[in-house]
Formats: sequence, C-alpha cells, structure tokens
Amino acid sequence: MRMLTYWRLLTITIIMALAGAAIPVQIVRIQNSPEVAGVTGQGAYIWRTFYPARGEIYDRRGSLLAGNKTVYEVGVDLNAIPSSKTQALSMMENIALAAQSSLGMDPAKVLEKMSGAAAGTQYILLQDFVPLDKADKFINAQADPKGPDLSAVQFTAHLMRSYPENELASTILGYVTEDNHGYMGVEEKYDNILAGIPVTVLVPADPRRAIEFPHIPPGQTLILTIDREIQASIENILDNALVSTGAISGTIIVMDPKTGEILGLSSTPRMNLNEYTRVTEIFPGETPFNRAISQAYEPGSVAKILTMSSALDNGTVTPGTVFLDTGTIIVGGVAIHDWDGGAWGYQDMTGCLAHSLNVCLAWVSTQMGSDSFYAYMQRFGLGHLTGIDLAGETAGRLKLPGDTDWYPVDLGTNAFGQGVAITPLQMVTAASALANNGQMVYPHVVYAQMRDGHQVNMSPQVVGTPIRAETAHTITAMLHNALESESSGALLPGYAIAGKTGTAQIPTPYGYDENDINASFIGWGPVDDPRFLVYVWLEKPQTNKAASVVAAPIFKQVIEKLVVLMGIPPDAVRQSTAIPPAQVQNTGQ
Amino acid sequence: MDISMENVSQIVQKVRQAHWRVQRQWIGLFLLGLVAVSMVAGIYLNITVRATLAGREIQLLQSKFLDDQRTNSDLETQLAGLTSVESMQKRADAMGFQPANPEDITYVVVPGYTPRVAVDMSQAEATSQVQPQKPVILPDYTESLFDWITRALASSVPAGGQP
Repeated sequence: MRMLTYWRLLTITIIMALAGAAIPVQIVRIQNSPEVAGVTGQGAYIWRTFYPARGEIYDRRGSLLAGNKTVYEVGVDLNAIPSSKTQALSMMENIALAAQSSLGMDPAKVLEKMSGAAAGTQYILLQDFVPLDKADKFINAQADPKGPDLSAVQFTAHLMRSYPENELASTILGYVTEDNHGYMGVEEKYDNILAGIPVTVLVPADPRRAIEFPHIPPGQTLILTIDREIQASIENILDNALVSTGAISGTIIVMDPKTGEILGLSSTPRMNLNEYTRVTEIFPGETPFNRAISQAYEPGSVAKILTMSSALDNGTVTPGTVFLDTGTIIVGGVAIHDWDGGAWGYQDMTGCLAHSLNVCLAWVSTQMGSDSFYAYMQRFGLGHLTGIDLAGETAGRLKLPGDTDWYPVDLGTNAFGQGVAITPLQMVTAASALANNGQMVYPHVVYAQMRDGHQVNMSPQVVGTPIRAETAHTITAMLHNALESESSGALLPGYAIAGKTGTAQIPTPYGYDENDINASFIGWGPVDDPRFLVYVWLEKPQTNKAASVVAAPIFKQVIEKLVVLMGIPPDAVRQSTAIPPAQVQNTGQ
Repeated sequence: MDISMENVSQIVQKVRQAHWRVQRQWIGLFLLGLVAVSMVAGIYLNITVRATLAGREIQLLQSKFLDDQRTNSDLETQLAGLTSVESMQKRADAMGFQPANPEDITYVVVPGYTPRVAVDMSQAEATSQVQPQKPVILPDYTESLFDWITRALASSVPAGGQP
C-alpha cells in the first residue's frame, strides 16, 4: 500500500514539475521564436516613407499666404474583399457606385480596376487629393450601418498646398503641383527647404521600440518682405489701370530702397494658385509668369536718370551745365532727335530731365565717352541678374563696345534707354542707388526663415556703390525739381517726391513700332528720407501715348496708398516733429 | 567495549532519515525552485506586457500628434481664408468702412510709441510646432530577462570588489 502511494506521488510530482518547467521554457521560446516575432513585430522592421508637411509662407505681418489643407487618398484594400465571388462582386459594385456618387468617378472603370487587379495586388488607388467635403460624403456612407458594405475602402489623410489668398501675390509665390514640386517664384526658388526632405526609414514594428520612431522635421517656414495690404492695393491699382488705359499688361514694384525688401510686386496676368492646372491657359506661349523679373524691354527715358547720375558722378556735367538743344545730334553718323522732334534751346541739366530731352542725354553720354558710360551702366547692374530670390529671372542685355552688334550710335541711344533691354526689377535695383546715398541694395522677397522654432532674419546687403552719396542727393534733388516744375501728375500734395517718366518706343524686327509704346514711371520719396521706391510699367497703353499721362497718375495712386499703409506723415508734419516718420502714429483708418 | 560490525549497522540504520522523508525534501526543494522560476516568469510577463502597452500607447500618441499637426495646419489655412484680404474687404464694406486717404489722417506724436515692425514668429512657431520629446522609458520596460539578471548581478557587485 505504501509502495503504491509512493509511485502515485512520484508520478504526479513529475507531471507537475514538467508542466511547471514548460511554462518558463515556453515563455523564452515564444519570445525568441522567429515565427512569433514575425507576427508580433518583435525584431521586425517596416519600410515607411515620411513626407514632411511643406513649409508655410507668410507675409511680413504674419498673414498666411501659402499653407496646407487636408485632402484624402481613397483606395480599396483588396484583402478586405470577401473571398466568396458573389459577396466580392456585391461589395465591388457597392464601392463603384459610392465612388460615382462621392467622387464623380465612372463606376464601370472603378469596377474594372478592382476586378482586373493583377494577382497579388493588395491595394487599388481610386483617387488622390480628394477634398474634405467629397471624402466626408464617402466616409459617412461607409460608416452608415444601414448603407452598403464599403468596409474595404481606405481613406488616408494627407496635406496639399493651399493658397488662402487665391490670386494675391501669385507671381511672387509660384505654385506647387501634386507631386509636391514648386514651380516659379518663391515656391521654386526655395523648393528644397520648403518641401523638407522625404525620408524612407526602417521603422520597428515592435511597440516596445516606439522610442526609435523617427522624427521627420517639416519643411521650413518662410516670412516674406511682402506686405499683403500693399500687395493687394497695387494689384487693385494695376488691374484698374489696365482697364482705364487699355494697356495689354502691366507691372508695379514697390521696394524699400534702404534694405532692398520688396514690399509689393505685381504683374499681369495673375492666376488663382489653387487652380494651377490652368497655368498654360492663363500664360499661353511665352507669356512670362512674372514680368517684373522675366521680361526685359527697352525702358526708354527712365534710364536717363542713370545716365545723368553717371555724368554727375564723374564730373562730366553739373546741374547747372547748360546745353543748347537744337533738336538733333549726330552720334555714330546717325541723327538723334527729341521725342517731339522740336528744339528746346538752352537747357540746364534739370531742364534736360524735366523735358526728357534725348538730344541732351545723348550729348551727355558722348561727353562721358563710351568707356566711362558703359562702366557706370555695368556698375548699375544692367545686363546682369539682380540675384533676387525668385525663380525665372532674366538678365536682359546691355551691348558693349566690341560686341558684334554694338554700333557707335548705341552710345547715344543707350543714354535715353533705347537699344538696351532690362527688366523692371533691374531698373528698380539700379535706382535704389540714387535713393539710398549711392548704395545699390540687393532686392529680395524673403524676410526671414524659421529654423527649429527660431526666426532668422535676412540682413540687407549692399551690392555696389555705383555713385557717390553726394551724386545721389544731387540727382534726387534734380528729379524732384523736375517733377515740381512740370507739375507732374505723379506728385502727391504734402510729400516731396523724386521721379522720372519713361515713354519708350517698342522695337520690332523692322524698326520701332510707330503705334505702340511702353509707358513707365520710377520714383521715390520722401526725398529727405526715402521709404519707398516705386516702378510702374504699362505695356502698350491705348488711351494716350505719353507716360506722363498714363503712368505718372498710376504712380501717384500707389504712393497715396503707401503713405497711409506705411504710416508716413506729410513732410511738414514729420519735419516739425523732427522725428523719423516711423515714430509718428497714424490715427486715421 | 567490543562493538561488532553488526551492532554498528543497526545503529546507523536507526539514525538515518526515513526514505520517504528524503524524497519529500527533494520534492519540496524542486517545487520551491519551480515557484521561484514561475514568479520570475510571471514578473517578466507582467513587465513585458506593460512595456508593450506603453509602447503601443506611444505609437498611438505619435500618430495622433501627426494627425493633430495636420489638423492644425488645415485649420490655420481655413482661418487665413476667412481673414483674407478679399474677405476682410467685403466685411469692411458691409460694415460701412472705407479706405482712408492721406487727407483723412491726423498724425499725432505719441511718446513711447513703437512703430509697427515685421512679425517675429519665434514664439508662435515654438508653441505651434512643439517637437516631440524622446519618450523616457525606464530600462525595466525594455530589457530582456537576461538583461535584467545581468544588470541585477552587476549592481550587486561592488566596484572592484567581490560580492
């Protein structure tokens, strides 16, 4: 009896011991089993690509110009479709009909996509970049318990570029396509830093290794020098100007001549950046996306300010130098006439600018000599890129002695802006030297970049000093006096402004166009402490062929807005308080 | 005293443990070991489960963080649309406002007035784009049983000395 009990106890003990020992053995085995690891994810990694959110773009006051909005990728998980043929067909039909009602897709094509999927296909993309409202309709249909079975449909939310201001500043911003590539403007120029860097990494599936989940930094945010209120104003003024003058296109640039910051820049046509697929329709053929930087043209008489500055700077003339204008001058064997074909008699240099006398300026350039004249023009940056941080800039053309297509007459015609091709921005950059004590500033549209939560502001850069400060003051005073003496339509009561009109003939392969002109105006103010430099260009205005009639009033409209938006008091108020204009508060609005 | 071998054998037999008692001791020792191992295994399982749940929660939070970032970005764009120049112009017009002209404005000197300057987004950016901190997970939640034993043994050995 005792023997029997002994064996029973021993057997039970052994069984319990084996069972007990099996538990830790199993634990260790399961933990290290490759099969189980594959299921639980322990030790397993998954390749995943992370697309960082594209950096946002703000104006200088913090208003969002380019942001991101949520859209959906809608697809079908084929693994979630029942294996039964009848049930599978029923679900696919449901999905096809839902895709038709929500996404506007052809149900037959949707059905064909799903049923015709190659063996091994796990996922079918129905549509990407589906707006929130459309996707919501589909999502609600899927969630409806009484509705058709759409459980195999997957919705993946992601971001896409969106421009809340639509057309505003479109020529500056550029646009982004669905593949997240920027085209034109800031979007193209700063594409690399705005887009961020997509990263494809091995992500551990093991939840205990969540610590290894990579952090993908979003694209960098940019703050532009643009002021959206100024931008909106000049766009509005430009649009109205095209209607009132019948011009085929136009450009307005507003720059701070001390820093080179572009406060506003508009050219036509513009497009709603949220409808970028219409780009070829809105900009057909070779229409530039941004005329201010991409379209070189003969500027005409506005270039006289550069010629006169150069001559004053090298001592060829002084403001009091008198020239006898007989109405004609021969340069390189070619006769040059004044714009009206008349003879203006004795004129000092201010008079030459005030009456925009071609003959006088051609005489000035010939007195300088070609070496000196072209050296100055190059120092003003003509024929060179300004380097503005926008994509698509063109350099224009300044023919130089020695070039095969340069003729001696060019020395005379270049002096009043003929035979030289420059962009509006090049003209603005060159003129910044006149408004900024002889120092020419680097034009730019990016005010700051955000890096790791810190704002890094761009420093103003002087790209050259083509003329002395005294010369800059002298030419500014001459241009101010010239406007005052002519009672120019550009003048704004209470503010001293310096400026110059430009009425330029348009070259064709057969000579200059007799019917159309380019009308422009460049000016800055207040003359004792310039806060803005404005350039207006209207291409082929129809109502009048004189820039003083069509372009100067547009300039005045722009600066009328600027003094309000920038809080610049009238000169008398500012000078009586003897403090800089920025410290006087504007109590209007 | 003359003690024969037979007598010695009888004495030893009298003091030796009973056979069943020796077996019971062995079984007891074995079960004690088994209980100890089972306790360690249980603790290990418990820790593993908690670590896995914590990791899973981190993954969900990371996913939610990305969703929230996306939602924020979307809402910011919507807000910008609602306050766009065009929208604000329409609202201002509807409320009877009109743009000021230079002659409408009176300028006064305000001592200490700070002129409007360009935006500084450092603060806003720092709060809106909080960088996810690296989660702090104690080694107890990540190490294996063998790591734990190794660490426990290592911590019981004084530096440069014997246990």
